[in-house]
Amino acid sequence: MNREDWEPKIVAFLCHWCSYAGADLAGIGRMQYPPNVRVIRVPCSGAINPLYLFKALREGADGVLVSGCHPGDCHYISGNYYARRKFVVLKQFLEWLGFEPERIQFSWVSASEGQKFSQVIQEVVDRVREVGPAWKMVKDYVGHA
Amino acid sequence: MLEEVIRSKARKLLEEKRVDLIIGWSEGTVSLKTAPKLCRKPEDADQLVWNPLCSVNLARYLKYYKKSPEKIAVLAKACDARAILVLLKEEQISRDRLVILGLPCLGLLNPDRVAEALPGARSRDLEWKVGKLLYRGQPCDTSLLMEETCRRCRHHNPPLADEVIGEPVGEPGYLHDDYLERYNRMDPGEREAFFNEEMTRCIRCYACRNACPLCYCQECFVESTRPLWVTPAPTPFDNLLFQVARSMHMVGRCVECGACERACPVKIPIALFPIKVEEIVQVEYSFEAGLSEESAAPLLTYRENDPEDFIK
Repeated sequence: MNREDWEPKIVAFLCHWCSYAGADLAGIGRMQYPPNVRVIRVPCSGAINPLYLFKALREGADGVLVSGCHPGDCHYISGNYYARRKFVVLKQFLEWLGFEPERIQFSWVSASEGQKFSQVIQEVVDRVREVGPAWKMVKDYVGHA
Repeated sequence: MLEEVIRSKARKLLEEKRVDLIIGWSEGTVSLKTAPKLCRKPEDADQLVWNPLCSVNLARYLKYYKKSPEKIAVLAKACDARAILVLLKEEQISRDRLVILGLPCLGLLNPDRVAEALPGARSRDLEWKVGKLLYRGQPCDTSLLMEETCRRCRHHNPPLADEVIGEPVGEPGYLHDDYLERYNRMDPGEREAFFNEEMTRCIRCYACRNACPLCYCQECFVESTRPLWVTPAPTPFDNLLFQVARSMHMVGRCVECGACERACPVKIPIALFPIKVEEIVQVEYSFEAGLSEESAAPLLTYRENDPEDFIK
């Protein structure tokens, strides 16, 4: 595929209780956002294993978004607080190793924030578009593009 | 000599049947390397050794006795004792079956460097005495012979022991040098290039995982085929992903003993990965693994005002 035809592919892990409902609301409200995102619903942002994110990148995603409830609003009381601690370490560690920070992004989107959801997706897609395809991380990639 | 004290203590423990098993080190079959030694009979204790080449972290062997009723005595350098403390916190071994014989330690030597600098040296020729390394009784230049992970060590005395053998050590007489700093100072592109290059040498033998005292999962993610998290073939990016995921399992747990790095047959500085993670944990959550029995592990607790400026 040529660089010109390339469109970023984003895998979004959305928490069932907030961000997924937020995405739903964006749909119901007919809010526009780029179609580059593939949604995977997870029970809670605290259920995210870093391996999920690597797997998505490995299978051809150019960027990954993890989105959950705002702190204090977790359906399971504290799942997102634990998630936040995990993400702090993961993010700093990956950047130290030279991963582009744009590839793995995080957000809090509540069930009532359809507008914010469409903005977040727009932002994520724009930032991934800037850094370009993640060919280096893709499983079958051989040689240089 | 300290070695004699260790042997007689071990012999006595076995003779009086206070323990069923002693885990220690003995002379290995390869020069300048020691091997782990399991003593069940009092006479076995005579084979125990203690020198700056006792590099295996013996806490690693406790997982095999998790469910056994045996009482176990284990020789523990400072980092071994820290690893035991983490295992106790994670309920991987019960304290009442364990006798910890703590050994203050000024650091391990790198066998390759010793062989190069001191031809003909044997492990028994080397010992730490009052903060100095002695080779056949003569002081010798230390810092270049040491393991990189030991030169940055901040905890030379075991934080947990039933009995400490030998005097507690103070500040070592050699230059403290943190090799993580050298990598932190590189610019990001240079560091990325360095790790990518190093990862091409990895043969994915998993010696790092197997040497780690705190890797005790019955099933490791690298052996999972459905889903296949990382490919079994040692491609450079998968090698890096394996190290990243391994390090993420060590958050707030790694005691920075460097056992993984010493086990690496192709000599990649892989201890850097979990050590970097620990540095992040220390900066963000002021936590160091294996120092206290009370403090909660950083990922098993939270504060409402934890940093989150990277989250939209």
